[in-house]
Amino acid sequence: MNWPLFWKSILILTLAGYSLLVIFVISGGIKNIIDMLKDLKSETPQ
Amino acid sequence: MDVFSTNFRTIDWIIVTIYICIPVVIGIMVRKYVRHLSDFIVAGRSLRLFIAIATLTGTELGLVTVMYNAELGFKHGLSAFHIGIIETVCILAIGLTGFIVYKLRQLRILTIPEFYEMRFGKNVRVIGGILLTLGGILNMGLFLQAGARFMMGVTGYSHPAGLKLFMSAMLIMVLIYTVLGGMISVVLNDFLQFVVLSAGMLIGSYFAIKTIGWNDLFKAPATVDALSWFNPLAEGSGFGSSYVLFMVILTFSAGALWQSGTLRALSAKTPQVAKQLYAWGSISYLARRVIPMLWGICAFIFVSRSPQLLAAFQGPDALNAQYGMPLFIAKILPSGFLGLIAAGMFAAFMSTHDSYLLSWSSVITQDIIAPLRKRGLSDKGRIFITRICIVSIGIFLLIWGLWFEAPVSLWNYMAVTGTIYLAGAFTVVTAGLYWKKASKIGATIALFAGLLAILGIGPWTQGENVPVYLTDKFIGLITFLVAFLGMIIGSLLFPDKTEQKEDSL
Repeated sequence: MNWPLFWKSILILTLAGYSLLVIFVISGGIKNIIDMLKDLKSETPQ
Repeated sequence: MDVFSTNFRTIDWIIVTIYICIPVVIGIMVRKYVRHLSDFIVAGRSLRLFIAIATLTGTELGLVTVMYNAELGFKHGLSAFHIGIIETVCILAIGLTGFIVYKLRQLRILTIPEFYEMRFGKNVRVIGGILLTLGGILNMGLFLQAGARFMMGVTGYSHPAGLKLFMSAMLIMVLIYTVLGGMISVVLNDFLQFVVLSAGMLIGSYFAIKTIGWNDLFKAPATVDALSWFNPLAEGSGFGSSYVLFMVILTFSAGALWQSGTLRALSAKTPQVAKQLYAWGSISYLARRVIPMLWGICAFIFVSRSPQLLAAFQGPDALNAQYGMPLFIAKILPSGFLGLIAAGMFAAFMSTHDSYLLSWSSVITQDIIAPLRKRGLSDKGRIFITRICIVSIGIFLLIWGLWFEAPVSLWNYMAVTGTIYLAGAFTVVTAGLYWKKASKIGATIALFAGLLAILGIGPWTQGENVPVYLTDKFIGLITFLVAFLGMIIGSLLFPDKTEQKEDSL
């Protein structure tokens, strides 16, 4: 087995996959936070 | 080259100081949303997918994670990557099948021992709660120490009192905002920390690879055995087949049932979101392993190129290998970036600490104190006790971190202490959810079997010359096996007399 090539592929996959995940989570997460606070606020007695 | 000389300057201190004030402000601001215990512990079960991924990553990618994985990379080279692959496959499998987490979320429980009571009765819940707390708190016993070492390495602060100073200051910051805001505060901070930490990790990786050189990264340094640098099954790699098998069982069980991670699944808006959280979160699990290991590997290659640095990490007065990665990044990153990375890592430290403190405190309140009280506890009373527990655990961590020095790698310490809880919990929850004949006696035997993992600590002081059957990895495997057999034999020999509640689960 060509270990250096294998680990090289894993490293590229990790860096690329994580970069994409970060972009998705940041863009979707902000909306999620607003919705979550709305949910919690609507349950809070005024 | 002076070992502790770094690029950390005043601007970096300013960045870190500003950053660590933000969570405290958030903690104070969201306090008004905490009304019920479920708001405090599972954020009112209001987490949607993306914020759940961010908070899961924030929890499971702590500074201690970065430190122990970097230490593995520093000591074992590219062969350490195998743990990341194993963990990722396990988490992905849980996400795709919904194994354990889907059903637990459906039950709307707050803690894992709460399930023990539903399925096996109150006594099993209390026993499970005690063992979970014991394993969990011991497991995070060295978090504070590792975090302080990172900050010392990055800032180049080598004063003998540095460890105590950093540990105390870091602990106080976390306690303030966790006690104030509970899970809502934790979730919001986790998101912020996810952003900062991820940026820091990707930028740091760029500089690390640039310093070492892409091609040199995949060549073994002259000072190590080339085969064991790449192959985790090779003799001398420090791993071997029994270690790999132990990692498969450990990471699978931890993925499904480590209270702080599972708490995110229990906080998810729906069971389906809980399942998706694990499937998408598997990428985070790969990154939390591979990226810090990459930094550790780069650090070792960097150290091995300088005879003076190499000498500092060898011999009887060698520096702890945990210092390798922080010293490396503090030497290669320019000032300013270093402050951002330090802030990101500090964020990682806080996001893990807050969740773990909240997890173990809520278990003590919900699963030990509340069931043992004859009169019920109000939500207000439970939140108060949880806050007291958070502070008490914090004080214990400070004392333990100052007193105890693990003679093995940080990860091995965590694997053994984690097994105390996981061997029993994994067996009991799996059998409780999927096997009708699982009984109270079987569950109790399985939970107590987890204590066998403590035997793995003994041989640590005897160096590497211990028989295979006395190594922590072998004892870890046996612990899982005994818990599993204990559940089967105990349940078959001593079935429950009353009708199972499983139909209602």
